[in-house]
Amino acid sequence: MDDKAPRPSGGSGPSGTTFVRMIRKQTPQPRWGGRRYTRARLSLSDVKRRWVSRFGVFFLYCLTFLAVTPLLGIFIYIVNKGIPGLNRDFFVSLPKPVGETGGGMGNAIVGSGILVSLTSIIGVPWGILLGVYLSEYASSRLARWLRQCIDQLSSIPSIVIGLFAYAMIVVWTKHFSAWAGTFALLIILVPIVARTTEEILKLVPQHIREAGLALGIPRWNVTLFIVLKGVRGGVMTGVILGIARIMGETAPLIFTAFNNQYGFSGLNQPTASLPVQLYTYAISPFEEWHQQAWTGALVLVGIVLALNVISRILFKKSEVRRD
Amino acid sequence: MTSSENSNVILEADKIHAWFGSHEAVKGVSLSAVMGTVTALIGPSGCGKSTFIRTLNRLHEEIPHTRVEGQVILEGKNIYERGVDPVGVRRKIGMVFQKPNPFPSMSIFENVAAGLRLAGISKRSLLAEVVEQSLKQAALFEEVKDKLKAPGTSLSGGQQQRLCIARALAVKPPVLLMDEPTSALDPISTAKIEELVMELKKDVTVVMVTHNMQQAARISDKTAFFLMGELIEWGDTSQVFTTPKVEKTEQYITGRFG
Repeated sequence: MDDKAPRPSGGSGPSGTTFVRMIRKQTPQPRWGGRRYTRARLSLSDVKRRWVSRFGVFFLYCLTFLAVTPLLGIFIYIVNKGIPGLNRDFFVSLPKPVGETGGGMGNAIVGSGILVSLTSIIGVPWGILLGVYLSEYASSRLARWLRQCIDQLSSIPSIVIGLFAYAMIVVWTKHFSAWAGTFALLIILVPIVARTTEEILKLVPQHIREAGLALGIPRWNVTLFIVLKGVRGGVMTGVILGIARIMGETAPLIFTAFNNQYGFSGLNQPTASLPVQLYTYAISPFEEWHQQAWTGALVLVGIVLALNVISRILFKKSEVRRD
Repeated sequence: MTSSENSNVILEADKIHAWFGSHEAVKGVSLSAVMGTVTALIGPSGCGKSTFIRTLNRLHEEIPHTRVEGQVILEGKNIYERGVDPVGVRRKIGMVFQKPNPFPSMSIFENVAAGLRLAGISKRSLLAEVVEQSLKQAALFEEVKDKLKAPGTSLSGGQQQRLCIARALAVKPPVLLMDEPTSALDPISTAKIEELVMELKKDVTVVMVTHNMQQAARISDKTAFFLMGELIEWGDTSQVFTTPKVEKTEQYITGRFG
């Protein structure tokens, strides 16, 4: 037990035990090292302090455990419920009418893919440029005002965004469409990407920008190829987290992209998506559809989880490179 | 100043005033630098020497709510004239900063090549040649020649500062401004940079801010003493340090204030 504790090899100087005590007095001890010696030296208040500290740490452990339990619970439950319906058909087939067995969510998976890709293609560059503008170009007053607006925008409930998109696009074009869904998702994605980009750009020290300017590099070049490039990992993290978020959005799509049982039939047509399909199935009274909904939930959670993990890895990589 | 010296003046500041908001940090400083010399700017913290040096490459104006008045004549042309592009000015006047600041997530090679690359030069062989030449000029080539692809930030502080010098030299500026280039470095790295500056003055005119008076005495040809935004005394380094004309200069140099 005391193997690691410092021990004199004898000889001259103070006797062994005294020497050990002298050292113990001034050096922090390994946790399991010198109990036998230190305990005897503890005063009552020390003992009390130690127990209060132990209790505090235990309490924090409990809180942490409580906080992650739901995550584990959801995950285990969904995996349990979802696995039985997981097969090739689920990914490639269209939904079957009630009463027929089999069928899948091919329409919803393709639809989600299209909605999310379309939104990302438009929204990611838009959000990044907006973030760059906020951090590098806007005068401080304008930037503060814009930032306020964007923050307010991201706190609007998504169902309201869905209704807004319905009123703006669906009422105008007189039908549900992938475009309307994309419009609603953009309102969610752009603020997220813009704000994370802005925050990350602010981490770049001012003197890096000055170094670029002092080299005779035009400002927009400094911004894009030195500042933004330097933190691309962090920006990508924000982008992926934003995409993960819109992947799971249901409310904005219910009145906009709606649903489509027949597979993808054009951007001007109603389009299915995983969350909406899941919702439709989950509130239905049919046992087969419930199974499909659980499997859909599993696939959705899997995709979102994968995106989050990828963003983590990217961010870590960029951290390493920055040091 | 004799007329032969006068004709070699490459950079001349004429009554430069610089403001941060309503605070006047530099109050009418006139100073000139002769080609192939090192000019040291000394003075206590907050005396405006860094602000002054930043007006010489029009970097001061990049800070919001700042203003500059006066003229800076570079090779016979006023860089504050209407219609002069600051980007072009900064290609001719390089700058090295207090803290080594290599570009993040760029390799050593990319760092040195950045100035040329972002000016539109992409010919690989030319870039490689300039990078090697600049690193040699900055006395860094031998240390990094086998790891040009390593991140610039992986180098030690002193090496990073020499990398920044190489980066500034790569665009071949006739003038190099240095804003306390050694204040973040250890004595050995400092000695290397000082040696380098004395070597460099063959090719570039150096204007350098320093807090270290021994450094100014060791490597500069001319010394300018700043106090409270004003130029108090300016002359040959040996004269300023041995027989200063103004009492304030003498007091500062002998360490009685500052």
